[in-house]
Amino acid sequence: MKSNRPTRRNLLTGRFMDEQPTIHISSAVVSVLPQRCEHVSQLLSEISGVEVHHRSASKIVIVIEGPDSGVLGGTLAEIASLSGVLSANMVFEQRLADLGT
Amino acid sequence: MKLSRRDMLKSHAAAIAAGVANITVPAAAQPVEGGVGSLEIQWSKAPCRFCGTGCGVMVGVKEGKVVATHGDTLAEVNRGLNCIKGYFLSKIMYGGDRLTTPLLRKKNGVYTKDGEFTPVGWDEAFDVMAAQAKKTLKAKGPTAIGMFGSGQWTIWEGYAATKLMRAGFRSNNLDPNARHCMASAAYAFMRTFGMDEPMGCYDDFEAADAFVLWGSNMAEMHPILWTRLTDRRLSHPHVKVAVLSTFTNRSSDLADIPIVFKPGTDLAILNYIANHIISTGRVNQDFVNKHTSFVKGAVDIGYGLRAEHPLQTKAKGAADPGAMQPIDFEAYARFVKDYTLDNVSKLSGVERGFLQELAELYADPKRKVMSLWTMGFNQHVRGVWANQLVYNLHLLTGKISEPGNSPFSLTGQPSACGTAREVGTFAHRLPADMTVTNLAHRKHAEEIWRVPTGTIPEKPGYHAVEQDRMLRDGKLNFYWIQVNNNLQAAPNSSRETYPGYRNPDNFIVVSDAYPTVTALAADLILPAAMWVEKEGAYGNAERRTHFWRQLVNAPGEARSDLWQLMEFSKRFITDEVWPSELLAANPNYRGKSLFDVLFRNGSVDRFPLTELPAEVENQESKSFGFYVQKGLFEEYAGFGRGHGHDLAPFDSYHEGRGLRWPVVNGKETRWRYREGYDPYVKPGQGVHFYGQPDGKAKILAVPYEPPAESPDKDYDIWLVTGRVLEHWHSGSMTMRVPELYKAFPGARCFMHAEDARARGINNGAEIRLISRRGEIRTRVDTQGRNRMPRGVVFVPWFDASQLINKTTLDATDPISKQTDFKKCAVKIVPA
Repeated sequence: MKSNRPTRRNLLTGRFMDEQPTIHISSAVVSVLPQRCEHVSQLLSEISGVEVHHRSASKIVIVIEGPDSGVLGGTLAEIASLSGVLSANMVFEQRLADLGT
Repeated sequence: MKLSRRDMLKSHAAAIAAGVANITVPAAAQPVEGGVGSLEIQWSKAPCRFCGTGCGVMVGVKEGKVVATHGDTLAEVNRGLNCIKGYFLSKIMYGGDRLTTPLLRKKNGVYTKDGEFTPVGWDEAFDVMAAQAKKTLKAKGPTAIGMFGSGQWTIWEGYAATKLMRAGFRSNNLDPNARHCMASAAYAFMRTFGMDEPMGCYDDFEAADAFVLWGSNMAEMHPILWTRLTDRRLSHPHVKVAVLSTFTNRSSDLADIPIVFKPGTDLAILNYIANHIISTGRVNQDFVNKHTSFVKGAVDIGYGLRAEHPLQTKAKGAADPGAMQPIDFEAYARFVKDYTLDNVSKLSGVERGFLQELAELYADPKRKVMSLWTMGFNQHVRGVWANQLVYNLHLLTGKISEPGNSPFSLTGQPSACGTAREVGTFAHRLPADMTVTNLAHRKHAEEIWRVPTGTIPEKPGYHAVEQDRMLRDGKLNFYWIQVNNNLQAAPNSSRETYPGYRNPDNFIVVSDAYPTVTALAADLILPAAMWVEKEGAYGNAERRTHFWRQLVNAPGEARSDLWQLMEFSKRFITDEVWPSELLAANPNYRGKSLFDVLFRNGSVDRFPLTELPAEVENQESKSFGFYVQKGLFEEYAGFGRGHGHDLAPFDSYHEGRGLRWPVVNGKETRWRYREGYDPYVKPGQGVHFYGQPDGKAKILAVPYEPPAESPDKDYDIWLVTGRVLEHWHSGSMTMRVPELYKAFPGARCFMHAEDARARGINNGAEIRLISRRGEIRTRVDTQGRNRMPRGVVFVPWFDASQLINKTTLDATDPISKQTDFKKCAVKIVPA
């Protein structure tokens, strides 16, 4: 977990004050077998932090959101090993310093 | 509707990905004008550090640290995509146990083989190392000195190493770990075309009508190229994919023609296809007559084992395994006639229908075929043959050297081609495909290197597996390993590798970024700078040379392999290492340091520091006082320019995303040997295989011969080793990325459920996997991503806590000397 969680320890040691919470947002292209596209798309939308944004016959564009790039990459690794997925590759990543509205 | 900043960023991210994936998106979802602020990160280009694909990545640096990477949209290879390993590039340099100071085994303040690793300064490390090298040289001469390098060396590191070893220490005992990886491919290129490396390139992925994978699980090992292949297959329904393997893997998911064959029988399948092409009258006679010649290879060539091994003494053709005799087309056609559909179906265990469909892909003149292979072909006791037999198919049909018709050897390391092969760090090679056994080649190298005639020794050195044997036997006593983890990678390691490292007669030096099992078996560990901690150049599988700048400093005292090689060379003067006759004939070389002779030679040191852009960091150049990388590269490029290996001027590579050689008049070459594409083919020639003196590629007649070891009643199951998506090779980098570690934390034994049941083993149970050479403990997986046929198990080798190479056999292809990691016999019992 990130050190900037508002825990009692972080609050007492001042860490909570130093750093702002961050979120990472990235997009990925998932290539799938066409006959499994619907099913995989459904599975993807059920993964925490994953949103399905666009789709073609054999490709699904997703956005992954998480507290750090490790979580994003871990999610991508999980997706890559799903049945029906031919490949899952990251494209774009951005960090947001504050959670925004 | 007002979008929040977060939503805006998400649609921006999705739109970029959609662009990469060629998906049209509604106007409202287009990228945000001007993009989203990049938070003070400095972005620079670099090739990926992992496999041989050679993807371009953008590397984000903030406050002296790499904080992010993403796929480079300007890189033709990956067009903005980044596979899972590439995504974690930013973390590979920051493992908690990074080596930051030299470590020497010491007791009571002095070096001793049984001492404890103790931090020392570079001076002390090099003093002890130089004393050991000089002791060995004095006692036994240059053949007792050796070095094991890598396809992960930058081009100039490999070049500096080959100069130091061959012209400095006068030893050809230099070999790269690429020997374990693509030596079979390199030998086959040389034997068939007289020139190394593929004629085609990745553009073939978008032009082929069929893809045939021969022993390559691209879905896991080359995910970006696999994405290009799947894009082609799924957007063009007429395209067919055949996947040949000894087990069903992730690549098989896409296969129209999925083929699981018995280990080693790919040779017979290849000859059957040739027979099919001939017997159905589909030989491209015009092409064959003009551009090919036929040869017959030596047979019964043994298994590259120790000479006293019964399999070696029995092999009649072992003395000259590479021999080839001219034959004609008729003799070749008679030779392959025995490889009938019935015979081969029976031998290989493959259904007749699948074999016929596969053969038709090659035979059909209207279908453009790209054949792809990696370790299944190369790590094969008949790997050179397998490579050549696939060239036979492309040559018989003329399906070669044009868009989409492409026999293509994939590589596993980022500079297996650029460094190991092109620079020539193999025990027998010199730059630009030249060899040490050829007097004219040696003379040419000596002229470019500005060293006396007769400096480079004629006899090839020990190859990788032979180096381990000679270390064990005490004939190789001073040994320096850079950028590889050979104790984990080498076959039969408990018996043939480890004993040599700990042999009291030997001094072992390992340069690495992390304490690998190899480093921990050494006597001296030198901390290495890695990837963007130094200026570098790699050459990928499609002949693309690409560069990067030093973007961050290495931690602590860690220094690049290049700095280590050059700094170490200062500790030797010619009088200590060259024979008196050589110095007597060339007295002006007396009393000079090897650094002066090899690097301050008026050529390597010709570019001043002012040639470096002011904002660019470059540790080596600042240390030595001249632009080291440029000098080494330009001297090296002199070997290939005008000889079909032309490289562009140094600075141009820092600007673009790499160029595919030969680069003539600023233009790269996508397809070699074909008029209109390759500047070396003259108008009117059509196709010209100019690497061969007669301009003709060789079609080779060789038979199926069985593997070195097959299952029997005592060791009753085949063992195949290999890789997984999440980890790269020995895992020294990827196992230090927490998320990749978590995704695939330990090796396991993939096995057919019925094979497991027959041994009383449940899925997930702990087992002992035992061969005649050693054993490991691991767990069984009967439901994972690899689906094994009966009688075959698969274990990946990335896991340092389960060294599968304790069990593998050190049998090699007798021609290429590359180990067969895909075929040995083991037994499996409950733990």
